[in-house]
Amino acid sequence: MQDVVVCDLGGGSVKLGSARQPDNPKVFPNASAKHKGERGTFLGEAMLGMTDVGGLALRRPIDRGYLVAWELQREIMARALKSLLGTLQLPACGLVLTEPYLNLPALREAAVRLALEDLGFASVYLCPPALCSLRAHAARAPALPANAAGCALVVDAGFSFTHAVPCFDWRVLRPAVRRIDLGGKALTNYMKELVSYRSMNMMDETYLLEHVKEQLCFVSQDVAADLALASTRRSPFRCEYVLPDGLTDTWGHVRTEEEVAAAAAAMQAARAGQGPPPVKQPLLQVNNERFMVPEALFHPSDIGMEEAGLAETIVQAVRATHPHLHALLYSNVLLTGGTARCPGFRERLYNELRPLVPDDYELHVHAAPDPALAAWQGAALLGASPEYAHLAVSRQEWKLRGVEALRKWDT
Amino acid sequence: MSDKRALRTRKVSERMAVVDEGERRRVIQARLAKLEDDNHREEDFGAGGSDDEYELPPSGDEADEGGPASGRKKKKVKVGGGMRKTRGMIAEKARGPKTFRDFVEEAELDRLPEGEPSYLTAAAAPAQTAAPRKFCSVCGGFSGYTCTRCGSRFCSRRCHAVHTETRCLKFMA
Repeated sequence: MQDVVVCDLGGGSVKLGSARQPDNPKVFPNASAKHKGERGTFLGEAMLGMTDVGGLALRRPIDRGYLVAWELQREIMARALKSLLGTLQLPACGLVLTEPYLNLPALREAAVRLALEDLGFASVYLCPPALCSLRAHAARAPALPANAAGCALVVDAGFSFTHAVPCFDWRVLRPAVRRIDLGGKALTNYMKELVSYRSMNMMDETYLLEHVKEQLCFVSQDVAADLALASTRRSPFRCEYVLPDGLTDTWGHVRTEEEVAAAAAAMQAARAGQGPPPVKQPLLQVNNERFMVPEALFHPSDIGMEEAGLAETIVQAVRATHPHLHALLYSNVLLTGGTARCPGFRERLYNELRPLVPDDYELHVHAAPDPALAAWQGAALLGASPEYAHLAVSRQEWKLRGVEALRKWDT
Repeated sequence: MSDKRALRTRKVSERMAVVDEGERRRVIQARLAKLEDDNHREEDFGAGGSDDEYELPPSGDEADEGGPASGRKKKKVKVGGGMRKTRGMIAEKARGPKTFRDFVEEAELDRLPEGEPSYLTAAAAPAQTAAPRKFCSVCGGFSGYTCTRCGSRFCSRRCHAVHTETRCLKFMA
């Protein structure tokens, strides 16, 4: 059987691995980073080894969810592939690559060119990530009637945007796909703006803030109550984040009780004249931002966006499908994408969705065990299955028929 | 004489007093657009924030003569070789790489036949079931008041004071 490389090309991170080893894909940022005022550039995978993550200027090949900077993407991919493949030969390998929903024809062509001509794969299949996630979900829960029909409403809360994707019979119902232009990146930037205004200027620390967001943010189940609680003196949400010092602590960490106590003790000792004054650590104060940031996804109108919230967007997507499918779609809502890792996401979505869904329909919201990897795992299953051979477009076909060869993905 | 001056100050302060609806909308849009940026850009006040990052766009002849150009720059010129830089190429470089918006425009999605799904049709429609909630622009809590000048929300006198000192749109208008 042909070796197949599987790649989920996300706006935030690349998930890359071989279909033969479906357990451990490489995950690394899809970006190149440079310290301001310095020469050295860190490319994709190399960013994982960085010890100083402050003041980075990032360049991302994916703009608003769509791959537009192929040069940069090729370099990032080529580097990662070199270390992944080892003995494998690229010209003999196939590639499963995820493709954004409703991709522009020009961008699809360019992506195929990148895979077949620039990177030199033998064949390629571009696949919408929702179908991959659904495939992985169906492999885990084959008994669900909706899964047997290849039917689900996949919520893909990614880095660049959030989609509600109705699928039926292992196909994306393209006219019914709905999108909110808010994803992990916008949320990170929103958080960055909030803490820069309220606590400390972090405007140049996008990369670090992304990490802080992933550690601290959660989805509130009752915003009004939590907000009232946060404004009290003993807010349970208030916490301090110790920023990295660039030496021992790469990413910084949430300040622990012990550290607070130790700092207080050192302060007291210094006051009493025994010992030096304690070193002041740079601290980032966070309070209601922890849940108000993910809140934007459920109510984009809060930050001035005109689009509906996630729950309503799902309803819009389902309503755009055939009425006979509604019950099946609502019975199998699948949460994927890195932003869905936020604690409390599933519960909140269920609670918001339930009142909007007619009460004679069953509603089940399933969260993938690792939402960020769901699409990759499904794509790996696809890569290992014999179906791949039928779906892929080989280099010869591409050379002979060009764009015509891609038509078979349009059904 | 003194009457005249008083009239003028009143006029100016009136104009500064309220930021109109269009301007408020524009500021919100600019803020939303910024959420999609990879890096924070300093607002362009003429010369830009950091001097060492600031580079003049090469104007043909000067770059060839070397002069104050750094080693890295010289190398670039060498690679460029005999190719002449057209005005279009320089303009393209200044614009930076193509963004997704450029591709959407090129694809002319508005010319697709009716009912054909595309990037534009996939955007979620405005909310029908929930009204925008109002949060204090300073502390993030629920807010009861609106800034009379710029329309931002605030929740208390303390937040209002912070708001007028820092963020009120009076300087942007």
